[in-house]
Amino acid sequence: MNLVTWSLATFHATTFVLAIVLFAYSRGGLGAALGGLNTFVGLGLFVALWATTYFTTARALRGLDLVRSARDREAYARRTVRWGARNGMAFLAVLGVVALSAAIANTRPDQIGLGILFPALLIAPIALVVSAAVGGAVGVIFGIIDLGLFALAGMSGQDSEPTT
Amino acid sequence: MATAFGGAVTVLALAARPVGEAPGAVVAVAIRYEWLFWAAAGVLAMTGIGNLAAFGAGLSEPASPWGTTLMLKLGSVLGLVILSLPRTLAVARLSQSSGDLASAAVVRIRNLYGATTGAFALILALAIWLAHG
Repeated sequence: MNLVTWSLATFHATTFVLAIVLFAYSRGGLGAALGGLNTFVGLGLFVALWATTYFTTARALRGLDLVRSARDREAYARRTVRWGARNGMAFLAVLGVVALSAAIANTRPDQIGLGILFPALLIAPIALVVSAAVGGAVGVIFGIIDLGLFALAGMSGQDSEPTT
Repeated sequence: MATAFGGAVTVLALAARPVGEAPGAVVAVAIRYEWLFWAAAGVLAMTGIGNLAAFGAGLSEPASPWGTTLMLKLGSVLGLVILSLPRTLAVARLSQSSGDLASAAVVRIRNLYGATTGAFALILALAIWLAHG
């Protein structure tokens, strides 16, 4: 485990959730949205997002040294679309498994096939494409923000050794 | 909150000693703090959302005084998280320095953790206001 990976992944997950909560609350829609969740489901969803974001951020950073190399930072920015899309799909997969399990648990056995699994099979490909698109877009936005924050930390331009 | 706020105060106190600790030791403590800070940030966001979920549809309107303070608090937390990434990166960069760390590094750490401590104090004040105001 690497500090840059850990901090970037947690930064992405917390900033994403906080920005959505702040936006939703300012528009007055947060109470209704949260009303459909209970505390444990909310905690579980955040942990799932945190885990998928950590995994995809680690993969996006594999073989790169963002602290020392400007070239690696550029390479990271190029990878954000792909790994953002994969994060979106991974999070959707977790959501899908949880939702399917809950639906199956609350459905009569003879209705599971046509009532749950068939609609899920029809919806899954479309949902995966949408989640990949959203994840990719969020990945690009975070890539741009990350590069800005790297510059703010004094890491911009050409490769250089840290100042002492 | 205690870990994140108390840790920032501890690193600030170490970096603010008049003669100065060995810069390498201060950076080593700061690196340990950064690991804890991000764990705490994730847990604080997670439990914060969980607390809001407990309000459900009973959440106050954003235009109410409580709602305005909540938005200010959420905005402050968001700002703290965003501005903490450059701090972490700067500390990571200092820790990877190949030469001996200069006292300028300690001054930089002092400034970074002074700002972090100030931001945490503001968030804590807003949280107390939300709980009792």
